[in-house]
Amino acid sequence: MTPAPQSPAGLGRLIASQSARFALRERTVALLGCMFVVLVLISAWLGWQATATVNRIYLDAAAFLQATGQPVPPNPVLDISALSLLRNMSVYVSLIGALAAIAVGNRLITLDIKAGVLPLIGTRPLSATTFARAKIGALAGIVLGLGSIAGLVSVLTFAVLPTLSLTGVQWLQLLGFFGLSTVYMLIFGLIGMAAACRARSETVGLLVPVTIWLTLTFILPQLTGNLNPTAAINPVAALAAPPDTWFFRAMGQGLGSVSVADAYKFGAANLLDMLPAGIGSPAIIPPLAVLGLAALAAFGVAWRALTTFNMATGEYDV
Amino acid sequence: MSDLTFRFAPIRTIAAKDIRDALRDRFILIVSVFLGLAAVTALITGAIALRTDVATYTAAKATLLALGKPVDAIAAPEFYPLRLLRGAIEQIEIIGAAIAILIGYRAASGERGRQTLALLLTRPLRRWQFVAGKALAGIVLLAGGLALVLGGLAIVLHLVSGVGLGPDDLLRIAVVWGAAIGYTSCFLLLSFGLALHMKHAVQALLVAFAIWLTLVLIAPQIGDTLDPDNQVAGGVFVQLHIAKPDQVVIMQGYATFETIRDGIEQASVTKHFERFTFAVLGIKPIYAGQPLGPILIEKTGELIWIFLTALGLGIVVLALPINPDRLAKA
Repeated sequence: MTPAPQSPAGLGRLIASQSARFALRERTVALLGCMFVVLVLISAWLGWQATATVNRIYLDAAAFLQATGQPVPPNPVLDISALSLLRNMSVYVSLIGALAAIAVGNRLITLDIKAGVLPLIGTRPLSATTFARAKIGALAGIVLGLGSIAGLVSVLTFAVLPTLSLTGVQWLQLLGFFGLSTVYMLIFGLIGMAAACRARSETVGLLVPVTIWLTLTFILPQLTGNLNPTAAINPVAALAAPPDTWFFRAMGQGLGSVSVADAYKFGAANLLDMLPAGIGSPAIIPPLAVLGLAALAAFGVAWRALTTFNMATGEYDV
Repeated sequence: MSDLTFRFAPIRTIAAKDIRDALRDRFILIVSVFLGLAAVTALITGAIALRTDVATYTAAKATLLALGKPVDAIAAPEFYPLRLLRGAIEQIEIIGAAIAILIGYRAASGERGRQTLALLLTRPLRRWQFVAGKALAGIVLLAGGLALVLGGLAIVLHLVSGVGLGPDDLLRIAVVWGAAIGYTSCFLLLSFGLALHMKHAVQALLVAFAIWLTLVLIAPQIGDTLDPDNQVAGGVFVQLHIAKPDQVVIMQGYATFETIRDGIEQASVTKHFERFTFAVLGIKPIYAGQPLGPILIEKTGELIWIFLTALGLGIVVLALPINPDRLAKA
């Protein structure tokens, strides 16, 4: 049964839907969301184009090798799973997807502060937990929407390209990949939301999660796997084995257990059948557990920030 | 007082005031330390990786000598200290550009919502002088921050490389500093312009980050992904055991594809900065050990791209009329 609009649950639903509409009306949120969708489309094309080019090069190279009387090695494309066509998707989720989620989390709070409606919401018969549930629900709804659009585009890609067919297990892996990607984006959205609640200025509320994202995406992978920033955004190069030395072994095992970007990279590569043989996460905690723990921690931080949020907060004093 | 001094005195005053503000609240120090940490991390991990390569080579060489076999069967790892700066340069490409966005945003947003602009404009000051003063302060702060980071990197490199840096190495780092100022100024001017003219300053910051993401990460990523050699672990030609001259012959049939791929990369100012600095520092193998003069001549085009982008953005920022009423809101 649908709760009455004036009941706490009904008010929570109202706040969640109104907040989501308010955030989506923002041009910057819409811009980042559109960028994500466009890149998802590009990612499918990129995967297909790059694989087709490697195949053509192989055919040319095979002809060249045969003409010169040299042995022809097997086609490397045959070793590539159809799922790995989406390999760029994991990079775009960790770049634009995470940034879009931060922006959504931030705007869901700052728009209320700037509009000066928090004191008004505070006068309603609404508990802090209902408010927190509503805001997190709005964030989860938008992020789930982004993940679903990406999933739909991928399914359509596989349906349109007749040369590609997935097995039942691979369809499940694809579903798992989009679930994992949604959780990854949600982690950053929750951090963005918590920072927006805690920060005294609108700018700081945005810069803190962006700094955390930069650190997790570009600095930690350097310590755990000697991965330079440009290698980190190449889905194939990012899976290269680190130098075999005590430093990278220790960093991979220890720091790798808190490196969310590394965990997502290995988790996504595993689900998309693109993890090279003998390569795996060096972390003590498995990638899925790292992401689960990070999601729980981000949820806890956001919940605490929202339930202790001062509802008398007015416009930023800037 | 000469006419020139009269024109530039307000610019200098505004710039000096902005620089003092940024130094007083330690903003520039904090962001420079963040970039410095990222860059030093990259340098140290690179040095550790190189040390591992050297140890592996030494062990393999000892084994061959013990077996009485010639040691030229294995390639010795090449050691050029400046090559260790690769990760640090990439951090400047990404985090340096993001910091430039913050400095530009801060320069514009500092006057928004405080009614200070209305007060400033009651003074004998032209609007372009106000904009020029703010942009100049941002570029000076950026240059200072980059000098701190690259200076720190040079010291760490001198200590960890074990061979020390000579005057030629320091000159190359100074050249990279100049290019880094030009490169990061593009992002500073972009966010400064957006924050001056968009309705809400924070929205301008988000738009600037979206553009940063496209130019710094996505365009090079697409170009990199379309490189067939990056699609197979270890490289497609290595897997097919095809020698370099034969690779060139095969790739002749993909000239159009390569032109499109290169065009996507060229659209990003980041790629020009990378190509220039990788050549100057000898990070790209064909430039390692080459004298600086011919490299600078060959890579002048990349440098022109960087500085023309910054100049173009600077002209746009100066030419667009500012609206004091809009700047009265944060």
